[in-house]
Amino acid sequence: MTNHRDAVLAAFVAAATLPGVVSGADTPLVIAGARVVTVSGAVLDNASIVIQNGKITSVGSGLTAPAGARTIDGRGKTVYPGLFDGLTTLGLAEVTQGAAGTVDTSETGDVNPHARAWVAFHPDSELLPVARAYGITTALSAPGGGLISGQSAIIRTVGDTPSALTVKGPIAMHMRYPTGAPVIDFSQGPPNQEPKTFEQRVQDRKKNQEKDLLKLKGLLEEARAYGEGLLAGAGVKVDLPMEALALAASGKIPVVMRANAEADIKGAIKFASENKLKLIIAGAAEAWRCVEDLKKSDTAVLIGVDQVPSREGDPYDAAYANAATLHQAGVRFAIVTDDASNTRNLPFEAAMAHAYGLPREAAIRAITLAPAEILGVGSSLGSIEVGKTATLILTNGDILDHRTNITNVIIDGRETSLDNKHQRLYDRYKARP
Amino acid sequence: MKTPTIHRPVALRPVALVAALVLASAGPRAESQDTVTAITNARIMTVGQAGTIDKGTILIKGGKITAVGANVTVPEGATTIDAAGRVVTPGIIDAHSHTAVEGGVNECTNIVTAEVRVEDALDPRDISIYRQLAGGVTAANVLHGSCNSIGGQNATIKLRWGVESGDALLFKGAPPGIKFALGENPKRSSFTGGARRYPATRMGVEVSIRDAFMEAKAYKKEWDAYEAAVKTIAGTRGKSGGPIHSGRSAGGLGGGAVQRPEAPRKNLQMEALKEILEGKRLVHAHSYRADEILMLIDVANEMGFKIATFQHVLEGYKVATEIAKHGAGASTFSDWWAYKMEAYDAIPHNAAIMASHGVLVSLNSDSDELARRLYWEAAKAVRYGGVSEDEAFKMVTLNPAKQLGIDQWVGSIEVGKDADLAIFRAHPFAADTRVEMTLVDGKVMFDRSKDVAARTGVAATLGGAK
Repeated sequence: MTNHRDAVLAAFVAAATLPGVVSGADTPLVIAGARVVTVSGAVLDNASIVIQNGKITSVGSGLTAPAGARTIDGRGKTVYPGLFDGLTTLGLAEVTQGAAGTVDTSETGDVNPHARAWVAFHPDSELLPVARAYGITTALSAPGGGLISGQSAIIRTVGDTPSALTVKGPIAMHMRYPTGAPVIDFSQGPPNQEPKTFEQRVQDRKKNQEKDLLKLKGLLEEARAYGEGLLAGAGVKVDLPMEALALAASGKIPVVMRANAEADIKGAIKFASENKLKLIIAGAAEAWRCVEDLKKSDTAVLIGVDQVPSREGDPYDAAYANAATLHQAGVRFAIVTDDASNTRNLPFEAAMAHAYGLPREAAIRAITLAPAEILGVGSSLGSIEVGKTATLILTNGDILDHRTNITNVIIDGRETSLDNKHQRLYDRYKARP
Repeated sequence: MKTPTIHRPVALRPVALVAALVLASAGPRAESQDTVTAITNARIMTVGQAGTIDKGTILIKGGKITAVGANVTVPEGATTIDAAGRVVTPGIIDAHSHTAVEGGVNECTNIVTAEVRVEDALDPRDISIYRQLAGGVTAANVLHGSCNSIGGQNATIKLRWGVESGDALLFKGAPPGIKFALGENPKRSSFTGGARRYPATRMGVEVSIRDAFMEAKAYKKEWDAYEAAVKTIAGTRGKSGGPIHSGRSAGGLGGGAVQRPEAPRKNLQMEALKEILEGKRLVHAHSYRADEILMLIDVANEMGFKIATFQHVLEGYKVATEIAKHGAGASTFSDWWAYKMEAYDAIPHNAAIMASHGVLVSLNSDSDELARRLYWEAAKAVRYGGVSEDEAFKMVTLNPAKQLGIDQWVGSIEVGKDADLAIFRAHPFAADTRVEMTLVDGKVMFDRSKDVAARTGVAATLGGAK
């Protein structure tokens, strides 16, 4: 018992970090003569990148290749940091409808802080090589559903085991800001709703919301006390949900809270401040209505772009221009797909934000360095800098342009295969008479 | 058959009002038959014989294109839209849409619902119309849902924002069509909760279509016989000059009368299927797997009808030769996959492979969101499978127009065609492009500069503008 508690304590204090695949004695790699979009600094023309032991060891011109290095001819190509999708269900969801056996995103019940995404990653998911071949090297993979959904991890899109896929976990505790809207489980049959007036429904929502917020607050207080008890060496009875939630309640990991409507975004900011949470808001469709609140509280948001406006009366381009609004105001944000099979469209969501006012550099940053920084791995991922992990992609053109193709994908210093289910089927059927 | 459109109070739909006001003040409107509108200094992607004109003029009169070219003289008094630095294209056509429909699009209660009509439920005040105009869309194939093996009748519409009735959205002259659906949706296999109903297997889907057409053929035979008899009598009458009296009441009218045969009872469901057998109604068949695509081709051949388009057709690339041989078009998603089991083998190269096998291909949205960026969906055909840019852009303009039988009016910028146009900031495939203006029947239906200028309050801060 003592041993187990020690282990729990150690895990709590260290905010448990799983090691991923460590590049061993890899052949040094040189990308020569490419246009390098570093994201953190200037765009370098006709530059080279030297990669050793999974890290970027030099970037610039006039570099010497290390002995035994393999060279990738980068002439005519552009190098970007690997694309980072800051909110997905990659590895957790395969076929989202009608094949429940392939979906591990949502536990039953409302409170699952101890559900950990990296436990359930499926390394042979066909979605991973597809995402990788189109430039998605890194993603946050998060559980959903309920009030407290569980813990997310950052994955690399290559690896033979769940731990090889995992870059780091836990990254954040995922929650849904309670809107008070009734949650209808259609799997239990058609909902049996009694007729109510509009006012009654508004009252119901308000009551539900207050109840849920109170419940959430209570859980967080309990978890905080639990964590403090652990630290004080008190004989705390092991409680897995509390142990997990303590990480978020004590601010050791951020809380990613799903909120879209203006009132819910503002409510989440207030709730996080009252409960001393490190808040990141996911969804944030109406963030453009809340820039002052977001700015003042320094809350980062994970937003989608290719969406219809949330209110009928909103400008038609509300979702497209949301990013530009946040950028202009200095609110930290990343663009995410919040999807699994469509993650390869990440650069195109950034492109739409660009078309509606987000500067090009900021658009590329929103799918590389920005999610890395927001999710706490900005020191190792998201840009092309000496000392950072060599996770890079090479393209034959502008990453924001739909006509561009990805030519090479390097993850942790190793060039990975671009083979994937779609390419195989294409090769098989394109020449069928 | 016509059900009254429910007109919601305008006060509940603020944007409809705002957008209407924007329109009311929206610059050039070529409403009068006599007024000429000229779009000048534009790069014009005609998608027609003229190819792309680097710098040219389009003249519009009475809603039609009257001139296109590099050397067109603008008549005096014409309303001019200066499109310098911009790219004018034909309006985008969405070959699979469920937009502007009041309530649901799935009459889900029967296996065959060929009698119901989308046109009876069109909602001209749906804000999606305006939002899609802002994505350059000018026409759409509004389809019934995919709940049934044989679903309801479609409505081909133009996105005429501001009209008062559903009928005013209808694309005049467009051939009628109907929705078929195969696989998981008519099987209802992804939908739990409701009561199960036939069919629950792909076997059942096949037999439900065959069965319906057996009945339709019998129905057609009955009507053909009746019409032949009427014709014969009419011929007789022409010679004898005597009156024709219908069936039972013929007695007592004197010896000269010829008895008219009694008409079979009209059956609205069978009428629609009869039109399919007669080649008068286009079949748009929702389909995913290759086996069920082949199945429907077999059934169509057996029953003697043609499939106009396979819709979605995500495994069309596996049987592209067979689709081409049948003469069907294919309207697919650019890259959606894995959202259900029958979409697990979907590949983004689908459009490219089908096109290279001689299938007429379009890219559609099936979504009020995706519809707003179909121009970029077309760009994906370049990325996946190397379709040329011209051919790729046809997949959202001329090709869907052909599939819907409306290419004599729309789909390219040519003299005599309708002035349904999109004006882009840059090439429609470029990373920073967006739609600046959209015209339907020569009328400006969307003007971004006017839209942005009309914004007030927090909306005016959107995009960091103020």
